[in-house]
Amino acid sequence: MPFSNRLVVGSTFAFLVVGFLALMAIVGANFWLNQRAELFFQQQISARDTRAAAVELRNAVQAAESAQRGYLLTNNEIYLAPYDVAKTQADRQISHLRALLATFPESAGPLDKLAGLISDKFDELEQTVTLKRNGHDDEAMALINTNKGKTLMDEANVFITGLVSQADDRLTNGAAEQQTNAALLELVSGAAAVVIVVVVGGAAFLLLSYTRELRHARDEVTGLNAELEHRVVERTADVTQARDRAEVLLREVNHRVANSLALISSLVSLQSKALGDEAAKKALSEMQERIFAISLVHRRLYGARDARAVQLDDYLTGLLDHLKTSLRGEGQGITLSYQIEPIELPTDASVNLGVVVTEWITNGFKYAYPGGSGEIRVRVRRLADGQVELTVSDDGVGRVEDAPAKGTGLGSRIVTAMAASLAGKVEYLSPGSGMTAKLTFQPRDIVAQAAE
Amino acid sequence: MTRDSSRVGGLMRAGCAGLLATLFALTAALGAEQSQGITQPVVLPPFNPSAPACAVPAGLSRTLAFVQDNRRDFIEGAGYGLSRAAKDRGLDYRDLVADNSAGQQASQITALIDEKVGAFVVPPVDPDELAPTLKQAIWSGAFVGTIVPPPATTILNAPQYLTGKVLGDAAAGYIHEHFHDKADVVLLTQDSLQFLAPRFTAIRDALKDMPNVDIVADLSPNPVNEEGGYETMKLILEAHPHVDVVLGADTVVLGALRALREAGKVRPDLYLGGIDGEPGAVAEIKAGAGPYKLTVALSSPIFGYALGWEAADWLEGKSVPQAIDALPIALSTANMAQYETDQADPGAVFADPARRDVYLKRYGNVCADARDQYLDFPWSSEGR
Repeated sequence: MPFSNRLVVGSTFAFLVVGFLALMAIVGANFWLNQRAELFFQQQISARDTRAAAVELRNAVQAAESAQRGYLLTNNEIYLAPYDVAKTQADRQISHLRALLATFPESAGPLDKLAGLISDKFDELEQTVTLKRNGHDDEAMALINTNKGKTLMDEANVFITGLVSQADDRLTNGAAEQQTNAALLELVSGAAAVVIVVVVGGAAFLLLSYTRELRHARDEVTGLNAELEHRVVERTADVTQARDRAEVLLREVNHRVANSLALISSLVSLQSKALGDEAAKKALSEMQERIFAISLVHRRLYGARDARAVQLDDYLTGLLDHLKTSLRGEGQGITLSYQIEPIELPTDASVNLGVVVTEWITNGFKYAYPGGSGEIRVRVRRLADGQVELTVSDDGVGRVEDAPAKGTGLGSRIVTAMAASLAGKVEYLSPGSGMTAKLTFQPRDIVAQAAE
Repeated sequence: MTRDSSRVGGLMRAGCAGLLATLFALTAALGAEQSQGITQPVVLPPFNPSAPACAVPAGLSRTLAFVQDNRRDFIEGAGYGLSRAAKDRGLDYRDLVADNSAGQQASQITALIDEKVGAFVVPPVDPDELAPTLKQAIWSGAFVGTIVPPPATTILNAPQYLTGKVLGDAAAGYIHEHFHDKADVVLLTQDSLQFLAPRFTAIRDALKDMPNVDIVADLSPNPVNEEGGYETMKLILEAHPHVDVVLGADTVVLGALRALREAGKVRPDLYLGGIDGEPGAVAEIKAGAGPYKLTVALSSPIFGYALGWEAADWLEGKSVPQAIDALPIALSTANMAQYETDQADPGAVFADPARRDVYLKRYGNVCADARDQYLDFPWSSEGR
């Protein structure tokens, strides 16, 4: 049976209460018995003194009577020597008995009777002695022959025996009560001891059972935890494996996309080479660069840990190096320099930015330096307000306001579309010589759009 | 020895005995006036019914006089037995009462002596005062039977120790059976009659071997009658509210019973036992289931009948017992009916030796010619 906390607390409290009551019973019985024993002790002393006084009284009267008998028989005064002492002793014992029996009202009457009989007995004794002293032996003997003295002594003995008997009864009853009380104490102590043993046994059993129950519960929890941890480890391993597979898959996808785009770019290049029309060739060449710019992003993503973002410095450096090589045909003396801060952008934004960079570099190579030499500078930096600024500058011919577009205008539309995707702002600055194309956008807005 | 020689021998022994008896009678007749009787205690042999006869007392009438001290039941019973014996033996019977007056009793006896009355039975009011008168009656040749004190030609006595022993043993048996040898006993004695002391000695002896029996009161009521017993028991109850056994003479025990009843102390197992077979005690026992369990009776009609019978023998010159023991009978509900039958017809008991021996035991022999051998000491079969 399972043990609840409430059951354990309640049972333990009950055991404590029962044990306490048993202890109180033992203590109470002891206390009561001690009180009774003390009372009995006092009663025993009183009863013993009463008995002794009664016996002493009888001894005193008998001593006086012996003195009288001796004198009457011998006429020798020496026999009367103990008489006065005996009489005094009798009076003293009567007083002593009155004091001892003061708390026993039922003894007052018999004690008065006894005192009267003792007084009469001494009167009779003294009367015979006086008659003998005065030479009236016959009268003294006649008085004795009336049996008055014997009757008085017999009656006094009845009361003395009664006092002794009552004292003996008190002693006997007290002893019997003590014996009964001792037996009762023994019984109470034994019963209480049994109760205490049962209580302690019950409490110990309960505690052991509860401890065993707790240990069992703890073992069960430990087992569950171990199983849970095992399942977590398994699940974590599964997740890790799934993530790894996903990453591999993603890299593979990027690799495939990059390869596919590279293949498309090559196909476009082959196609352009197969064309005779220069315009078409250029258009395809531009298309090839755009595709390459896009493929380069995927190529970067293939080797990157995080497929969701691209490090601009790595990506744009690679793209610019490729453009510098591929556009050499467009301008032999044009140099390309760049200064790119290590900024991380979402993949889509990086593709857009790469396409913009490709358009502006391609456009610079085609139109900035008709004489064939000059420098094109690319700079990507983070502004103080957190915006990213892309500038492509040259020192070429610059841009004439309201002049007709030199190309098909496709590049401008692409730039505009890409800038719109980046929620950026495109500016073309022509401060006199050369031109600076600038794209400014806020990366936070791009991240927020991606989250939505 | 042949049958003839034996017969001759018997005749010779009878002749010698007759001669000796005649000589003894002559000597007695000459010396009776001076005889003091037997004054020193002697042990009497059992009565010999075949003892030689003597001369018939001369000049005395065949009259049996019972001079009662009073009319108490016990003595009245003796008178009844005497009257029945007188009737059976053809004696004139006279019944006088002294009303407890020693002088009156002496005068009555003197007058009867003057009338040549042949037999007296007397319970003396005052033994010492009456002794000279009784001796005068003996010297006259009359039969003098006394109930207990001497002098007398035939003393009727009760074995006092045996009487007390019967009561004491019965009480001890009851205490053993009902109180498991533990009891508070009241012993009401009779100090005024010294010769009754052995009764109480016997009772004490019967109880002394029971260590848990306490004689809580051992005293004599004064006077020794029902009122004395009543007052004494009241006194005792003041000192000892609980008593289990009361023993004594019936009269005082009846008084004690009244005191116990007044005090509400009577209970079924209370044991009261008395001596004398007083009618009141007998009535209590016959009532059944009461505290009065037993009385030790001396059948006065039967010993009265015996004294009357012996008086008649005396007047016929026959030898009579010098002493008779009236044996104690423990009366309880078990034997009450038989006892009362015997009381009513003492002559039938006396005629049946077996039944007579239950009530009486006779000692010594004396006849008119040997009346100087009268007993002049307090005789008892229980000499110490």
